[in-house]
Amino acid sequence: MRLNVALYRVMAYVTGVVLIVLCVLAIMQIWVADAAAVNAVGTIHGALYIVYLLVSFPLTRRLRLGPKPTVAVLLAGTIPVMTFIVERHISHRYIEPALAAATPRPPVPEPRS
Amino acid sequence: MSGTQEASRWGFLITPKWLGWTAFVIAATAGMLWLGDWQMHRAMAGNALSWAYTFEWPLFAIFAVVFWVKTIRDEVHPPAEAEPADGVGLPGGIPVPPPGGRRPPGGEAGEGDAEDEELAAYNAYLARLTREVKGHGRWHGLR
Repeated sequence: MRLNVALYRVMAYVTGVVLIVLCVLAIMQIWVADAAAVNAVGTIHGALYIVYLLVSFPLTRRLRLGPKPTVAVLLAGTIPVMTFIVERHISHRYIEPALAAATPRPPVPEPRS
Repeated sequence: MSGTQEASRWGFLITPKWLGWTAFVIAATAGMLWLGDWQMHRAMAGNALSWAYTFEWPLFAIFAVVFWVKTIRDEVHPPAEAEPADGVGLPGGIPVPPPGGRRPPGGEAGEGDAEDEELAAYNAYLARLTREVKGHGRWHGLR
């Protein structure tokens, strides 16, 4: 679980950063018509997104997310800046409670008698 | 395991919600395979970059199918790994004393019926919490 969370966070940031670089390069095409850099970064992002899917899907199953958060996590890797937003949201909403639940808890009070 | 039990475990698949998601996965997979085919034609027409996408799209289509199969498998057989996090630590069955009934052993003598009712209400509250919390955290269907 912890390894999966760490891998997900790493991939969310790496994929997100590469996607932003890709977008900046794509916008720069307006002034500099040089497709080589965009093609290279685009291919790198495609490969990273595959890894991102392989890492994030098991995490969505471990966290038992419903369909909407699951789709949001999986598609975040294709939408600029979304990986950062979704990663933050998922961390607060699902990952931290799940990690807290995995650690030992104080005993629950018995029924009084 | 009898056939009817097995059938009831898979029965959720024919609910409208699950049929809809299955149709969506089939459509998405077909769409990704079509995109892969399109990229292959572009690649063969001389667009070198399209070769990467020629292999990526079918890979994404395979992911969609694999994810879908895993989702359904988890629904039929919930993974054992989630069990520790699943339990909230409440005792399984909390006995609810009969209303106005006899005192449970160990209680101090001389307490009034008012406290018995309070105790019964508290235990009923705990039992209700236990009931409500049972199965929480499981992924029942597509919510």
